Amino acid sequence: MNTTARIVLLVIALVVLAPAAGMLILAMPAFGHPLSQYGDVVNALAPRLRNISNMVAAVNFDIRGIDTLGEECMLLAAVTGTVMLLRGHRGEDMSERAGRVPGRKQPSRSDATVLLCRFIATVLFLFGIYMVLHGTVTPGGGFQGGVIVASSFVLLYLGESYRAWRRIVLGPALAALEGTGALAYVLAAALPLLGGYAALQNVLPLGTWKDLFSGGLMVAVNYAVGCAVIGSFGVLLLEFMEETRAPENDPVPDEEDE
Amino acid sequence: MNPVQLLPVAVLLPLGLAALLLAIAHWLPPRLADGASVLASLGLVALCGWLAVQALHGPVVHWFGGWTPRVSGRPDVVLGIGFSADPMSAVVAAFCALLFALSFIFAWGYFDKIHAHFHVLMLLFMAAMIGFCLTRDLFNLFVWFELMSISAFALTAYPLGRSSLEGALNFTVTNALASFLMLAGVGLLYARTGTLDFLTMAKVIARIAPDPVITGGFVLVATALLTKAAIVPFHMWLADAHAVAPTPVSVIFSGIMVGLGLFGVLKLTAQVFAADAQVLAMVHGGLFALGIATALTGGLMAWAQRHLKRLLAFSTISHLGVMLTAVAAVSATGATGLLLYLIGHGLVKGALFMIAGILLARRNSVDELALHGQGRTLWPVGVVMAVAGLLLGGLPAGSMYAASDLIHESAHSVALMFVLIFAASLTGAAVLRAACRIFIGCSGAPGVEVTAPTERGREQADRPLWLMLLPCVLMIAIAVLPVDAVAPFMGRAAALLLQPDGNAATAIASDHVTLGSFFALALTLALLAASLMRERPTRRFARRVGRVERLPFDALQFLHSGLVTDYVAWMAIGVALLAAFLG
Repeated sequence: MNTTARIVLLVIALVVLAPAAGMLILAMPAFGHPLSQYGDVVNALAPRLRNISNMVAAVNFDIRGIDTLGEECMLLAAVTGTVMLLRGHRGEDMSERAGRVPGRKQPSRSDATVLLCRFIATVLFLFGIYMVLHGTVTPGGGFQGGVIVASSFVLLYLGESYRAWRRIVLGPALAALEGTGALAYVLAAALPLLGGYAALQNVLPLGTWKDLFSGGLMVAVNYAVGCAVIGSFGVLLLEFMEETRAPENDPVPDEEDE
Repeated sequence: MNPVQLLPVAVLLPLGLAALLLAIAHWLPPRLADGASVLASLGLVALCGWLAVQALHGPVVHWFGGWTPRVSGRPDVVLGIGFSADPMSAVVAAFCALLFALSFIFAWGYFDKIHAHFHVLMLLFMAAMIGFCLTRDLFNLFVWFELMSISAFALTAYPLGRSSLEGALNFTVTNALASFLMLAGVGLLYARTGTLDFLTMAKVIARIAPDPVITGGFVLVATALLTKAAIVPFHMWLADAHAVAPTPVSVIFSGIMVGLGLFGVLKLTAQVFAADAQVLAMVHGGLFALGIATALTGGLMAWAQRHLKRLLAFSTISHLGVMLTAVAAVSATGATGLLLYLIGHGLVKGALFMIAGILLARRNSVDELALHGQGRTLWPVGVVMAVAGLLLGGLPAGSMYAASDLIHESAHSVALMFVLIFAASLTGAAVLRAACRIFIGCSGAPGVEVTAPTERGREQADRPLWLMLLPCVLMIAIAVLPVDAVAPFMGRAAALLLQPDGNAATAIASDHVTLGSFFALALTLALLAASLMRERPTRRFARRVGRVERLPFDALQFLHSGLVTDYVAWMAIGVALLAAFLG
C-alpha cells in the first residue's frame, strides 16, 4: 500500500475510535482523585512492618518484588539478546583482545582529557555505588545506581585508549557479575521456600527505621539488582565498542549473499 | 513439600538456571547447557502437571512475600502479588515446558557458537510463559507478557541476516505497540477499580459495570493479547517472524506462544470480566467474527504459499482463528475445545516446523517447488510430515480431532462451522501438497502458490538426522493418542477455569469416529487431489478460470505487504473494529 492508503486507513480508524475515546475520558476518575487506597495502606504499613523509609523501594523489592524480578529479567533478556545478535556467527572468538582497524589513526588524548576523565569517572563510580547502597533509604537504588556506575566505564574509555579500556573492563567478569546479580535475586526469592516461608518472604533482620541497612531482605535484593545492572550495562557497552571494530573482517551473515 | 510451596518454583527454576548459565557462560562446556535445559524443562513438565492434579480440589494459591490480601486490613485492597494455579492454567504451563524440552533436544548443538546465550534467552522465555499462565495479578501478567516479547525479539533476529532482521523488526514494532496498548489498558483498569488482583477486580467490576473505562481497558488489553495471538487484522507480523526465526524458536512461537494470547483472553474474560455484559457481548459476537475471518484468511494464505515456513505460519494463523471461535463461546465446551486444540495443534505444528528445519539443514531450502522430489532419501521425514498434514486436515484421531468436535459445537451456525472445516482443510491440503512434491516428487502444474515470496536459507547441518527426527516423532505420537483417558480431566479443568467454585457443567471430549467425521478429511484429500492433478491451462477458457481463481489470492497477497507501516495501520483498524463491535 502507498502512504495515502495507509493514512486513509488510519484516519478511518481514528474517526471510529474518537467517540469511544471521548466517552472513556469523560468517565475517568477526576484528576487528583485516585480511587485506590493502595498508597495510603503502604505508607501506613510498610514502616511498621518492614522498618523501611523508602516506600518505592518497599513496593519494588518486597511487596511487589516478583514484578521487579521479572523486570530485572527483561533487562537480562534485552542485553543477552543484543550480545547474541551483535556477535552473530562470530561467537566469542575474536573478543579476547582489543582489535584495531589497520590504518585508522589513534590520536592520543590530551593531558586535560585524561585527568578530567579519571577524576570524573572515579567520582561517578563512587556516586553510583552510593546510590546503590542507599536504595532502601532514599530515592534511587539498584537500577539507577547500576546505570551510573556503568556510565563511569564510558569515561574510562574516553580518558584511556580502547586498548587500555579493554584491559580494565573484562567481558566475562561483567557477564558473571550480571548473572550472579540475577541469580542472587532468584535465590532471595527461592531460599525462604526451604524454611517453609513464602517466596521472597522478608526473613532477614529488619534493622532500625531510617538506617542504611533497614528493610531486611530488601537490602540484599537491592544490591543484587545493582550488581546485575552494572554487569548488564557494562556488557552492553563492551559489545557496542566491539561492533565498531573492524567490521570488514567480520561481516554480518546474510543468507542472500552466501 | 506441599503444592503451595512448590508453585513459585515453576518460575524461579528457569529464571535461576538462566541467570546461572549467563554467569558461567564463558567457561561452560557447550553440552552442559543443553543437558541442563532439557532436564529443567522436563522437571517443569512434571511440576506443572502435578500442580494441575493438586488444583482439582481448588486453586493452589501462593502470595509472594507473604503479602496475602488479609495483610492490608481493608476490603478490596490487595497489596501483594499472588500466583494461582487452576488445573487448566497448570496444564497449559506444563505443555509450554514440554514443547521447550523437545525444542531443546532438537536444538542440541545448534547454537554452540554463541555459548549458552541461546539457552539463557529460551529459559527466560519459558519462565515468562509459565508466569503468564500462573499469575493472578494484572500488572504481573503484563510483566511476563513483556518478558516473553523481549526474549522472542532477539531469538527471531538471530543470526541477523537481512531477511531475519526485517521479520524481527516487523515482529518487534507490532508487538511493542501491543505492549504499550496493554500497559495503557492495565492503567485504565487499575485507575477505575483500584486493584490489580484478578478476583478482587472481578468483584469491583461486578459492582460498577457497565463502565466505559472498564470496557476500554478490556479492549486495549485484548488488543495486545490478540496481536500476540495473530488474529486478523493484527496477524501480519506472524508470517514474517516465523519464516525467519531459527527452527527451535519457530516451534515455540507456533506451538504455544501465539496460543497463550488466546488463553489469556479466555482467562481474563472468564475470571475478571464475567460480570460485564458489554464485554461478554463483544467477546461472543465480535471476537467470534474475527475468529472466522482469521481462520479463512489464514487458510487461503497458507494454500497460496510455496515457502514451507511461511505456509506453516499462515496455517497457524488459520488454526488460531478456529481456536478464537472456541474462546468467544466462553463456555465449558469452548474452553475444553480450546485446551485440547491448543495441545493438539501445538504438537502437530511444532513437529511440522521441525521438519522444515530438517529440510533447511539437509537440503538448504524450504521451497516446495525448488525441492521437487529432493526429499526421497529422507522418506521417514516425509512419513511424519504426511501424518501431521492429515491431522491438520481433520484426520479423525487424537486431541485435535476431539477438540474440533467441541469447537464446531460452539459455532453459531452450520454455515460457519463449514467455514472452519474448510479453512482447516486448506491448511492440511497445503501441507500434504508440499509433502507430496518434496518427498514423492509428484506434482501438478503449480497453482496460485507459484508467485508467493520465497528465498533460500540454511541451518546448521552437523546434527544427526535421528536426533532431529526424534522430537517430531514424539510430538506426532502424543498428538494421535486417544483422548479418552484424559478427557474427563481436561473437561473438569476447563470448567474450573470458568467457575473456580466448581459449579460449571463439564464437557467431555471424545474422539469416537462416525461417518460424518470423515467429511473434513475427504475435503482435504479432494483439495490435495485437485492441486496434484492440476494441468497447465492451455485453452482460453481454462486460462480465464485461472485468472479469476488468482484474484482473491492476489488481493490477500497484496495486503500482506511485509511493510511494518501497513501492519500498524491495520492494527489501528483492528482497535477501531473492536470499538465498533461495542456499538
